[in-house]
Amino acid sequence: MIRFNNVSKTYPGGFLALKQVSFAIAAGEMAFLTGHSGAGKSTLLKLMSMMEKPSAGSIEINGSELSTIKYQQIPYVRRGIGMIFQNHNLLLDRTVFDNVALPLIIEGYSHKETRKRVEAALDKVHLSSKLKCFPNMLSGGEQQRVGIARAIVNKPPILLADEPTGNLDPKLSLDIIRLFEEFNDMGVSVLIATHDLGLIARMKYRTLTLKQGHMITDGIVDGLQAAGDLSAN
Amino acid sequence: MQTNFSRQSKHQLGWTGRITARVIRHLQQAIGSLGDLWRTPFTSVMTVLVLGISLTLPATLHLFVKNTQMVTEQWNSASEITLFLKLSTADKSAQNLVQRIKLYPEVENVVYISAEQALTEFKVSSGFGQALEYLDENPLPATLLVTPSKRFSQVQAARELLLKLEQERGVDQGKLDLEWLTRLQAMAALIEDVVIAIAVLLCLSVVLIIGNTIRLAILNQKDAIAVMKLVGATDSFIQRPFLYAGVWYGVLGGFVASICVAILASYISGALGQLTDLYQSQFVLSGLSFAELMVLQLLAIGLGLLGSFISVRQHIRAIEPTAD
Repeated sequence: MIRFNNVSKTYPGGFLALKQVSFAIAAGEMAFLTGHSGAGKSTLLKLMSMMEKPSAGSIEINGSELSTIKYQQIPYVRRGIGMIFQNHNLLLDRTVFDNVALPLIIEGYSHKETRKRVEAALDKVHLSSKLKCFPNMLSGGEQQRVGIARAIVNKPPILLADEPTGNLDPKLSLDIIRLFEEFNDMGVSVLIATHDLGLIARMKYRTLTLKQGHMITDGIVDGLQAAGDLSAN
Repeated sequence: MQTNFSRQSKHQLGWTGRITARVIRHLQQAIGSLGDLWRTPFTSVMTVLVLGISLTLPATLHLFVKNTQMVTEQWNSASEITLFLKLSTADKSAQNLVQRIKLYPEVENVVYISAEQALTEFKVSSGFGQALEYLDENPLPATLLVTPSKRFSQVQAARELLLKLEQERGVDQGKLDLEWLTRLQAMAALIEDVVIAIAVLLCLSVVLIIGNTIRLAILNQKDAIAVMKLVGATDSFIQRPFLYAGVWYGVLGGFVASICVAILASYISGALGQLTDLYQSQFVLSGLSFAELMVLQLLAIGLGLLGSFISVRQHIRAIEPTAD
């Protein structure tokens, strides 16, 4: 489902953000991606969401090879990836309903089907009562859940989350992770980028650890081990 | 909490459903873009007025050219050929000549002015009445005023008719004073060319104005466009509301231009009426016909669409989502 093969990314100016990173995440798998700031987590997510192109190596997402993809094909590959951001990336001049409906409108779903799916997605994140609210009327946690509802509303096979619990308290963070687990139970591949080692320790999922652009560990680790890996390397 | 969220229930529309959904989506985006214009009234009104006024000028110049052509056509058809008969031509021969010329298919009417009539008129109009009394004989020839039929009143046909008439027995010389008309027509053609050049420049300015307005709208929605791209929107989906905005600017600008032209035509018509009354002319200023108004409207829409198309092609692709 997600396959990185010797992927490197060099930014203009010569900064090497990723160095020959290889890994694969199977369909229906859930994993964490961790590392200090500047380790290459964001670059890796940008490569997966086609905001950047790899300098070397190949990336395969849902059967599409991203290093050679044409500009016109990018939107269609993105529709197969639900993306969740720390800053939510919501449209502030549109209601919660309109924000969540956006991927369905883009894909041309009927009005009836769109309403049905949006209501279902908002129900899933416990925001059914906020349908007509605007994002700035919601708390940070609620905005994050709107972002999650938007990411899952068109049922993508992959979910990518960049620091989804970054600004949330521990209880809310755990609720959000539980949501991801529910989607994962339905067969969705989930990759969560976070530097919350406590969260990683509690969840016991496969963890990819990046340091200075290198993949230093790949496996089920607890938080302490991950912290040790980061400081030792 | 129960949901119908399940990957297996992915809704698939049939082709008729897809077409219907697409049409509805287009309508929604068209109405939505009109709503966007409504939400920024000052900018929208200013842009529409600038477009309307920019289109009013070429439309008014077109009106001017059209009416000038109508006037010159009227003068053209009123052109006459004057045939001066030989002094030796007897009155009876002249009458026979009149009958012969009246049978020409190219001729609509012939008026005979005898030498005596011509002298009498000259005495009155020249102011030399008493001096002319001292002449032993009438120096003026009899004259025929020939009006060509409508089909032969154009410059070239009238010239050919003149040559034919000059071959008639008894005719000394003929005169067709069309130099002034030729000059007028050349001037009208020049004005028409200038009008076309000005119209092209103003249309170009309309395209640039709409392009710039749409560019600003795109930049205002840069973040929203980036988010749309992230969730899988194609460039054509993102472009559509901006293209519809260009069309709306065209529709409203064309409407303003039509009203401005009508007001200008009405205003000029009053002043022109006073002038033509002085010359006992029946000339009435002709406004834009329904077909011309439709052309103006379509032109405005086309220019709006072109301006927005150029702008979206250039700017929307350049906006790329960022993770920040």
